[in-house]
Parts: sequence; C-alpha cells; structure tokens
Amino acid sequence: MEELKEKLSTIFGKDRVTSNQVDLYPYSYDMTECSPGMPDFVVIPENNQQLVQLVSLANECKIPLIPYISGNNVGGLTIPHHGGIIIDFGKKMNRILHVNEDMMYALLEPGVTFGQLKKYLDNNHSNLRYSYPFAPPYASVVGNAILSGMNNLSCKIGSMGDSINGLEVITGMGEIARIGSCFYGKEHSDPGSWWCRYPMPDLLGLFVNWQGMTGLVTKCAVQLWPNPRIQKCYMVIMFGLTDIVDVLQEVGRSEIVDDISAVNTEVIKMTCEIPEPVKIPGEPDFAAILPITAKTEKMMQAKEEILHQVVDEMREKGIQILLIDFLEFAKIFNLRVRCYHDLPAVILSLVEYSGLTWFGSYAPMHEMKLLIQKVYSIFNEHGIPPFIYMKSMKSGHYAIFRPIIRYKKFKEEKKVHMLLEEIAETCINLGCIPYKTPAWMTEKMRKVINPGWLQLFERIKKCMDPNNIFNPGRWNT
Amino acid sequence: MNGRPDLTNVQVNGREYLEMAFNRCIKCSTCKYSYKLFDQSCPSGEKFLFESYWASGRIRIAKGLVNGDLAWNDKLIDPIFACTTCGACAASCQAPHADFIVDIIESLRELTVKHVGPGPHQEKIKERTRVHKNPYGEDNSDNRALKTKHGLPDKAEWVYFIGCTSNYRRKRVRDATLSFLKKIDIGFTLVDEYCCSSPLLRTGQVEIVEELMHHNIQVINDAGATKVVTSCAGCFRTLCKDYEKFNMEKRFEVYHLTDLVADLLQKGKLEFKSSISKQITYHDPCHLGRHMNSFETPRLIIQSLPGVNLVEMRRNRQHAWCCGAGGGVKIAYPDWSVEVARERLEEAKETGASIVTSTCPFCKTNLEDANKQFSMGFQIMDLVEILDNLELNVKK
Repeated sequence: MEELKEKLSTIFGKDRVTSNQVDLYPYSYDMTECSPGMPDFVVIPENNQQLVQLVSLANECKIPLIPYISGNNVGGLTIPHHGGIIIDFGKKMNRILHVNEDMMYALLEPGVTFGQLKKYLDNNHSNLRYSYPFAPPYASVVGNAILSGMNNLSCKIGSMGDSINGLEVITGMGEIARIGSCFYGKEHSDPGSWWCRYPMPDLLGLFVNWQGMTGLVTKCAVQLWPNPRIQKCYMVIMFGLTDIVDVLQEVGRSEIVDDISAVNTEVIKMTCEIPEPVKIPGEPDFAAILPITAKTEKMMQAKEEILHQVVDEMREKGIQILLIDFLEFAKIFNLRVRCYHDLPAVILSLVEYSGLTWFGSYAPMHEMKLLIQKVYSIFNEHGIPPFIYMKSMKSGHYAIFRPIIRYKKFKEEKKVHMLLEEIAETCINLGCIPYKTPAWMTEKMRKVINPGWLQLFERIKKCMDPNNIFNPGRWNT
Repeated sequence: MNGRPDLTNVQVNGREYLEMAFNRCIKCSTCKYSYKLFDQSCPSGEKFLFESYWASGRIRIAKGLVNGDLAWNDKLIDPIFACTTCGACAASCQAPHADFIVDIIESLRELTVKHVGPGPHQEKIKERTRVHKNPYGEDNSDNRALKTKHGLPDKAEWVYFIGCTSNYRRKRVRDATLSFLKKIDIGFTLVDEYCCSSPLLRTGQVEIVEELMHHNIQVINDAGATKVVTSCAGCFRTLCKDYEKFNMEKRFEVYHLTDLVADLLQKGKLEFKSSISKQITYHDPCHLGRHMNSFETPRLIIQSLPGVNLVEMRRNRQHAWCCGAGGGVKIAYPDWSVEVARERLEEAKETGASIVTSTCPFCKTNLEDANKQFSMGFQIMDLVEILDNLELNVKK
C-alpha cells in the first residue's frame, strides 16, 4: 500500500492523496441505509492526464476506482464495496468550461454543482436556464445527468439523461474518448462542437446509467433551455388517494407545464417542518406543483386557459380537485413550501434527520394508481407515515414514483431496510425500474430481467473493464 | 463538575453537543458554500479539500471516534485543528444543529486534546497563559502604569477590557481605544485582567479557563463596574457567550466598542467634526459578525464618518471570508493562515478601497501580516484607530 501511495502521490501530488483513516472515514458512508465501506485512498484530480495515469495504475494493481462528487446520490453509489481509490471530482474538476448561447448547451466538468451552474447562468446568460432538481444545490449536474435524474423541466424534456449532448470519458484502456458531435478533431475538441448526440452510433449508452462501471466521465455537455420572461406556478390539491395520477396524465399530456411534482400531504407537512407529519382524516391526499412559463402574456393566458379546462374536465368526471396559485398559497400558508419552486433547494425538513433513503424509480403510468395503493399499505403495515414523490415525465409518457424514508442514521438502518425491501419488491413486480440503484436492489432486479439482457450487460462490462476496476459491486458486478 | 459539561468523558457528558449533529447531518454539503450565493466560504475545506476538512466531515469524524470506528491518534490533529472555527459553515447550514457547529468542533478539540494532545504549537498558548496569564508569554501587565498615565480611577462604571492582542501586540488599537474613551468621556478604568480564555477555548485546552474567568469577573467586580467595553471581537464573544456557557455569574454587561459608539451616535451625543476622504472596506471579524450577529453596527458607524465611502467586498456579513487567524490557526498553521488573509485582501482590492478596516485586533494582525508579506499596499486600520483620528463633538 505504501508503494501504491507513493505512485499516487507522483501522479496527483502529495497533498492530493490520502490514506489517513480519518480522511477516508467521511467517504465511507452516505445518507442512505446502505452498508458503509472504507476506501483505501482518496485522490483529488485536476486534469485528464492524471486520470489516464490512474486508470493505468489501477489496471496494473487491480484496485477499484470509485468516482465521487458530493456523495448525495441517495443510492450508496460512492460507497466502496471492495475498498479502492475514491476519485473526488468535486473539489478541483468543477469548472464550467463553456456556455454556448447559440446552440444552448453548457460544457461542464463533473464537479459542477446545480447551485454553481444556476448562479453562473443567472449572472452571465440570464436568457438561459438549466433544469434543477428538488435536491441540495451542491448535487452534481453531471452526476444527475449521467444517472438519469429528473428535474423541474421533466414534464417537457423527460429524463436528464436525454439532455446530454456529449461526453468525454477515460476508458478502461486509458483512452480519452469524446462522444457526440464533439467527436471530430484529433487532440482537442472545439468548445463549440458539443451541440448534439446523434446520428452516429450512440456510444453514450456505454456510460450513461452505468454508475461509473465502464469508465470515468471527465466532461459532459448538457442542453440548456430558454428562460422565459413570464413564470407562474399553480398547485392542484387532490382529495382522493389515487386521483393525482389523473393529474400526472392529463395535465402532462396537455403540454402546457414545465413540470408536475406531486407529493402527498405528509411530504407537504414535512416541508413545512411539522414534526412527525401525518395526514389527518378529511385532509387532502396529494398536491402537485405545476410551474408554467411563457414567452408572452398571451401565451401564458392560453396555457392557463388550457389548464383550467383540463381541471374542469376532471371535475366533470367526479374528481375532487382544487386549483390554486402556488406562490400565493406559499405566502399565506408557509413560505417554507416555496422550496418546491425555488430550485435547487435545501429541503429543510429532511435535514432534521441524519438519514434519508428512497425507492426512486421510473414507473409505468398505467400502474401508478396500483403502486400508490400498494405502497401505502406497506408503509401502514410498518407503522411509518408514507412519504411519496411523483413526477410526470415527457408529457406523461412515463412517471417517476419515489417513496421516501427519512430516518435516524446509525440507529434505524435495519428497520428502514426491511421497509425498503418490501417496497422495492412490490414496485419491481409492477414494472418499476429503480434509478441510482443500490446493489442490493439490482440483485432483486436481476431475478426478473431477461437473460439476454443480463448476458449482454455482463459482456459489455467485461469488454469495457476487463479487470473490473470501475466501481465494482455496482449492479452486482 | 463545574459549569460547562465535561466533554472529556463522552460516555456520560457532553454527548448532547455531538449527538445533536449525529442525528441531523445528512452531509448535504450546504455547509460548504455560502447559502444561496454558492461562494466559497470555508477556508479549511478550500485549502485541504478532503471531506474531513469540512464541517460535515468533522461531524463524521466525531461520530467515528465516539462509536469506535476511528482510533485516537495523531492523524486526527490536522483535520480537527486546521479550522479557523470562523462559523461560515454554521451560517450556511440550514439544519437544526447549525448554530452549534462551532461548539461541536470545539468539543471535538477538547476530546482530542485529552486523548491525543493539542494542535501544532498550541500547547504554547496554554503554557504561556498558565504562567503569564496571556497567550503571548509577555510579563503580565496589571495595567497600573496605563491607569496612572491616563489618570484613570480605581473604581468606575465602565471597565475597558483591553484584551491580550491589543495590550501586548497591537498597542495602537489599545491606545486609540483609551484615547477615544477619554474623549467621549465615559467614566472608565482598567483592571488587572487575565486572558479572557478565548485562545484556550478555541483550541480545546480548557483546564485553566475557569480560573481565568473567575479572576476577570472578580477584578471587574472589585472595580465597581457594571459595564465592560472591549474593542476586541474575540474577548467580546468570549465574555458574552463562553462565560455564560461556564455558568459564570457576571454582574456587568459586556459591550463591543462599536455598540457603544453606535449608541452615542443614535442618541445624538456624538458627532464627527472632521472628515476623512477615503474609500474604506470593512472586514467582518468572525467573532463579532457570525458569532455575535453584529454586522450592521460597524457599518452604520463607518457610513456616518464624513467623507468616507464604504465599499463592500464580494463576500460580506454572514458570508464574509475569514481573515485566517482564529481557532488557533495562526500559531498552528502560520503559512496557511496568512494565505487566507491574502485571499481576503485580494477581495478587498476588487473594491478599490485604500483602507481595510475591522473591529478585531487579531484580524488586524493577520491582515497586516498578509499586507506586508505580499505587498498589497493597503492601510489596515482598526475602526477605533480611524475614529480616534477624527475631531469629535461630544455632548453630555
């Protein structure tokens, strides 16, 4: 190990390598109930040359490489399963390399955070915006994109994985590859060449959603969007347990809103910092936040008219629904709930607990009502209030279904894990596909995935990473 | 047990400080950068980079030590002591334990001193204070000579608590304060003060702090004073907050000089007759700003100075970049400490100001060190030095 440390120090510099247990310990676990695991080293890279050398060294020593940015992924993805070297991209590889106004994209290093990007765009390119998550401002933009997170434009644009124009990666062979329209050029790419992902063979698929198992992403171009002048936000309040699904579907396919974020009453109460929030009989079951943007007043009026029409049609079907101005509601009710709108946000009530975990999944829209009912029963059986977060994706083509559990870290892991396992099993059986998936969950998935897919997956992994150095243990590799 | 919980035995006492964080921190990184401004704010994290050098990492280390995952050894020293305890993390953290992050770090230091030892060179603070009653190791001044020189009485309503840095190192701050207090004609005196205990508390070396505190309270009481004024932000924070934490019974109120000046200005009892045509920027001392929530009072005073144009640095008030001196860093990590001050002065340069003022002699020390070392070309002045240079109109 001392010899390896010396080699790492030669690559990164003495101050950017640590094997001190005290330094390693904070990297050994995250907010989830996933079991902790210590790395052997943490390194802080600054450039590709260092990383190419690192990959070569890791292949030689057969030591795992675990990419890390801020460790907020809620899937235990940066916890080492078999020791190894954590590559902390968050501290120095965090530059916004280029913003292209003409073709609306930003070229980023992995460590760039949502807060950083928002501030940069607001200050320098206020006509453009990115799509921001209901997550702390210090989560990584690139991490979110390459793990197919979802943000506050998801009803329009879908998964953030779809917003990637191109990647620069370091492969298992230590080659630096640029993927996407940036693939022209020998040594360096033109910053203006990261404008599209297609129509060449889509090699992005070899890296997106692979949880760092196939290579190291060192640059990522993400699409930006016009920042319309006129912005409003509505909220619908639903009094039937599963009626919220009609909102996800019908409002989604009306193509007038940027996003539909639905949460149950317990989550709203949690956001307002009501201790141990539970729904009282007679209170509504769900609410959804509907941000709407428009270029002109007329456009806004037309969108609002459509929204009212959709809501009226739902009422005619007997659905009990209230449509209100969310920002006015926040002023009267509790300004804390504005965090649903002012993204990226610190979710204050989540930080009252030291642990947070979820079953985050892409879900088939037609099973959403059943999912809500079944997961509610599981929560009730465990005597834990249900916290549910849902989204309509890409005009309602599919949905996000995310039961959330906050808990006391170091005390309640076992209890939480049992609940989560039951939820995962039920949801996977109904067709849900977990994202940012912890290894114990992929084990469950493997049992129901078709063998051809698994064989192909294993072959690709083996081909891309013959020594299994890239984040081993993920997806049970 | 007397006063503050005995954190040296984590099995029984003091756990509440640490447990508070264990049960709250999800390591969301909000503490790392200024809230909603997304600016760099943690000198320690920005320098050493690894998670162990940020507040959330230190909370994790505390947990690891308490639950036995980590061993007490000298590898702990840098992550635990390379922190100015400036409180920028606390200003950004939105969790319920935010206000206690500095307490948590200090508790962790106290435990580390017991199990491993103090931070680099910090034992000198304790030894010098034990012997000489000040952390600089100077012969203790009982301030009699100063009292005689300035014709101060033995008993008075006010005591000017000079503080060790002003009394032994930044004497111009002390002399300007004495001169200014005489000009505004409040009845004050000096006492045979000992170190307020701040450097010991900040470095986890708490053995003799109660003795120092008792002494200071006694001599202030003996002077018949009901009010104490100090121009040192560190003394101010300690006399106000830490004496309370140790359940010290004070029969006097404590003011920072800026509070006193602002009060006189507000009541129309003080006017500035001469002017100073300068562009000035104000550096918020952590111990006055973030620790005591006094951001606007010094600014109100500066803005009332005829001819002065107050210009703000990019990071100011609760998100101000630390000067780099506090938390025992100046003695333990002198080179890094000055680097931090240099960054502050670089920021001051962007404002076009010629004077950098502050309200803490220790900030002045470090900013002045960086100013000289890197030829930054500023005039570094404590606010009281500026005030004392002006002609005053004092009304009774």
